[in-house]
Amino acid sequence: MTLETRKLLDKAFSGLGLIAIGMMAAALLLILTPILWRGSKAFIFKGTIEHRRVMLEEFDRGNTDRFPAEMEKAKAAREPIYQILADFKAEMKTMERSTRGEYKSAYREVEQAITVLLGPAPGERTPVLMRQRYGQMRWDRTQIKLHEVLFSEEWDYSIPGAMGVLVETPRIEQFAGTKLEPLFHYMEEHIDEMMRPKTTFYWQFITDKSKDSHIFGGIWPEVLGTLYLTLGAMLFAIPMGVIAAIYLCEYAKEGRVVSFLRICISTLAGVPSIVFGLFGLAFFLNTIHVSDSKSVLAGSLTLSLLILPTLIRSAEEAILAVPRTYKEAALSLGAGRWHTILTVILPASLPGILTGIVISMGRAAGETAPIIFTAAVSVGAPLKIWETLNQPTPALPWNIYNLCTEHEAVDEIRHVQYGMVLTLVVIVLLLNMAAILMRARISKKLRG
Amino acid sequence: MQKSSSLIMSNATGQRQRMGALLGQGFLLFITSLSTFAVFFIFYFILKDAIPFFKLEGFKEFFTSTAWFPSGEPAEFGALPIFIGTGLVTLGAVVVAVPLGIAAAICLSDLLPFNVRQIVKPVIEILAAIPSVAYGFFALVVFAPLLQNHGGAILSAGTWMILGPILALLVVVLGDLINEKLESKKTGWVVFPILGGLALFTIHSLASRLAGVEISSGTNALNVAVILGIMALPTVVSVSEDALQAAGRELREGSYALGATRAETIIKTVIPASVSGILAAVILGVMRAIGETMVVWMASGNAARIPDPWHNMLQPIRTLTATIAGDMGEADHVTGSSRYHVLFAMAFCLLAFSFVMNLASELIVKRSRKKLGKS
Amino acid sequence: MTEEITMKKIDAFAERGNEITGHETHVEAKNFSLFYGNFEAVRKVNMQIPKRKVTAMIGPSGCGKSTLLRAINRMNDLIPSAHAKGEMIFDGHNIYGKNIDVVTLRARVGMVFQKPNVFPKSIFDNVAYGPRLQGMRNRQKLNETVEQSLRRAAIWDEVKDRLSANALGMSGGQQQRLCIARALAIQPEILLMDEPTSALDPKATAKIEDLIGVLRENYTLVIVTHNMQQAARVSDLTAFMYEGVLVEFGKTKQLFTNPKNPQTENYITGRFG
Repeated sequence: MTLETRKLLDKAFSGLGLIAIGMMAAALLLILTPILWRGSKAFIFKGTIEHRRVMLEEFDRGNTDRFPAEMEKAKAAREPIYQILADFKAEMKTMERSTRGEYKSAYREVEQAITVLLGPAPGERTPVLMRQRYGQMRWDRTQIKLHEVLFSEEWDYSIPGAMGVLVETPRIEQFAGTKLEPLFHYMEEHIDEMMRPKTTFYWQFITDKSKDSHIFGGIWPEVLGTLYLTLGAMLFAIPMGVIAAIYLCEYAKEGRVVSFLRICISTLAGVPSIVFGLFGLAFFLNTIHVSDSKSVLAGSLTLSLLILPTLIRSAEEAILAVPRTYKEAALSLGAGRWHTILTVILPASLPGILTGIVISMGRAAGETAPIIFTAAVSVGAPLKIWETLNQPTPALPWNIYNLCTEHEAVDEIRHVQYGMVLTLVVIVLLLNMAAILMRARISKKLRG
Repeated sequence: MQKSSSLIMSNATGQRQRMGALLGQGFLLFITSLSTFAVFFIFYFILKDAIPFFKLEGFKEFFTSTAWFPSGEPAEFGALPIFIGTGLVTLGAVVVAVPLGIAAAICLSDLLPFNVRQIVKPVIEILAAIPSVAYGFFALVVFAPLLQNHGGAILSAGTWMILGPILALLVVVLGDLINEKLESKKTGWVVFPILGGLALFTIHSLASRLAGVEISSGTNALNVAVILGIMALPTVVSVSEDALQAAGRELREGSYALGATRAETIIKTVIPASVSGILAAVILGVMRAIGETMVVWMASGNAARIPDPWHNMLQPIRTLTATIAGDMGEADHVTGSSRYHVLFAMAFCLLAFSFVMNLASELIVKRSRKKLGKS
Repeated sequence: MTEEITMKKIDAFAERGNEITGHETHVEAKNFSLFYGNFEAVRKVNMQIPKRKVTAMIGPSGCGKSTLLRAINRMNDLIPSAHAKGEMIFDGHNIYGKNIDVVTLRARVGMVFQKPNVFPKSIFDNVAYGPRLQGMRNRQKLNETVEQSLRRAAIWDEVKDRLSANALGMSGGQQQRLCIARALAIQPEILLMDEPTSALDPKATAKIEDLIGVLRENYTLVIVTHNMQQAARVSDLTAFMYEGVLVEFGKTKQLFTNPKNPQTENYITGRFG
């Protein structure tokens, strides 16, 4: 090979490496961007008057002085719609039977779409389901629902073998020449006055209970459940992990026993998380019965096993990083072994151990598979601390799964799903950032 | 005060002290073994609930039949499609994660300056820290619709991204080899454009063929494999970077001193010296992919049948982990039916596999450490 | 050199190690050997360390002088493979015998290490570490002990205004003197110093050497050094070790001016080592 091509190859090789790094960063960006962007919309969005009404009526929050006046305005803006609907109903009665039949089902659709958009018509009985008591609370959903009022959708399967094609026809054409015709223009032009969108900062999304399976309110039960599970797992794992690390570093003599223990630890680290879940079910629940059925306690125990290897390793690393001279100094001053560990080694390795703890916390908070069979339920109230011993809880990771696969109105509550994912990711990333910063400080200290 | 204290303890004190030390150490050993022996507990309890399945249904159907109807009458437990699905996505994840991960690791250990590395490392850590359910959510809610609606475009763009750099390298190497054979300086300017054109044509024709593909469901093996690959990346990168670093500076300097370029140094001396560590990285990456639950459960389509043809990544599949997660809710574990125990049988397969893989990677790392002399 | 010849030599020099100066003996090694696994790092040493004198140990690196020093307060226990043969007598007991309270032993034999190894705690807490171990809780007593120890280590004036500052913030020389103060605070009878100035600059070294001159009045000092001038400057007695064997032990002046053993002579004149 000539020198030129060798140099060229060298450059190409470096390029490949850089491309790999770039693709990795791009993947991270690609995944985080929608989560951060759309997740933030669970907190900051354009809320309609219906949102404020829900806040006032269901959560006792908002301005009781100003709201009625605003509601009056909105009602006034909505008034003509119900007028037009009533007029058209009257007109239908005068129609011939065949034409009336034609319009009837189409009209029913319009009426329903309007109820979804604005909530039940004035004078109607209050529906039983909470989700039917209010109109659209978010401006983005309002516009989608408005579109459904304005257009009728049909799937065209006329081409055999291919997927169906969506055909939209403006309803204004359907009802051309009737008294309903002006409705569509009116709605399009006055939707602002009817819904009165306002930029809303709904930080209580995190601290509000959810109502009517997450269609209203926030995610507090999930946040609290995740907190319980994580802290519970740490409660069991920290003492076990730190003690094991102390034993392995300070007491155990290298030999068969220790290498055997180490193999066990690394095997434990390699066990798939779902197997931890099954084990938790088979052992904690079905064998030793820590609780009658799923509970936070069982979930915490399962999670603590999962994070043990990480914790032991990081604690070991931190303890081994303590200069041997500290130990010598303490011993030469007449300190016993225990005393040396408690007064010198542990304090010096504390930052490193803390880093490991923080990282494990992030891991425990984000794990789903181990809690599916041991702790998680889809719907539940926030637990009191003593209830964690025998009751299951909603938790962020599980409910993210549940809301985006099994919820009856998956598309309607995308913002809640994104909000949950964002909350979980932020919790985990904050913990990891803390760990990164702590590690940087430690290495600085050790260097200088 | 202290000066007068005697060096000699009474027999009783000495015994008490020794007993105390022994007790304390015993306590520590007890706690330590408690946490380490959890492994045995796991093996025991999974196996305990797995054995009834094999007793009831035998081995043959489980490993060879393709009919998976656990709730049928009679129930059928042919898990072959599930094993194949698991293998397929794991293989796909490896194809994504390994080349990318090793290239990134080389870049981190040998190419990037220190301060850039300080920025890239957190990127890897964040990739590793994002919870699997968030990856699953992304796969299901963002990536699957994208694949479904713009499948062709994504596939062809992917082809360009993957084949482009590889073929570019190939063109340089091949062109050089041909030139060497021809031994004429003039032809050099002809060979490269011809090869380059050929490469471009190959990619283009392949990409445009893929651009016409319609993906009927975005939740399929490809989706899961890509996401699992991204999830396995941090493991592959950090473990193989450690291996590359362990090769040492002396080795590199030796190669540079002989006039090798950086690429030659890395390919001919550094990688061979750290090949076992890189192998361990690949194994750990495989374990990460095969043990992942949420992503596959949410975005694989969960169809328990073998894709047609078997390597068709665009069809939905089902994996062991997702089957366990999904079916346990329905399995009647109170009566201890086969439906319940079959899931433990699957878990045992997973457990045994990861145990063997883990041991293998430990052995490889240990052997390589011995070889490097731990200096 | 065959094994037989080596053994003979050891006997010959051990005899010489016994005929010392007539001072009261504080620590005595009797046929003392220390092994790391199968390796005999200290070979059948016989040596009497006199009270309230400075004894220096010199020799090329790896000769076992540090190991012998650390054997006096059983710091070698930290190394799992280490074990001893023979006797090391202190206060009438063989400290490697049965029922020896190692913690008490170490409280009576202080030690200063090669590199200053202050704890990452405040200056006060560093010095108070030992007294607190011995159960001293009274704040005033602690204050007195700390001040006295710091004064004895000739560092009081430099740190009296910042006793609560982190000890890691001090210079290397100050840290080493703090380590000496910390060792003095447990009121030891013997102070072992393992190359205490090897990590320090000449100025700090001079200060430590001055300090050794003062401390000899109240303590038995044993100091390992690879610096022969230092041994000549500060010690009353010098022991020369080579390959685990105590080759020669005698008054410093005599050993440096008129060594009895040709190997010693070779070493101190710089022909090897």
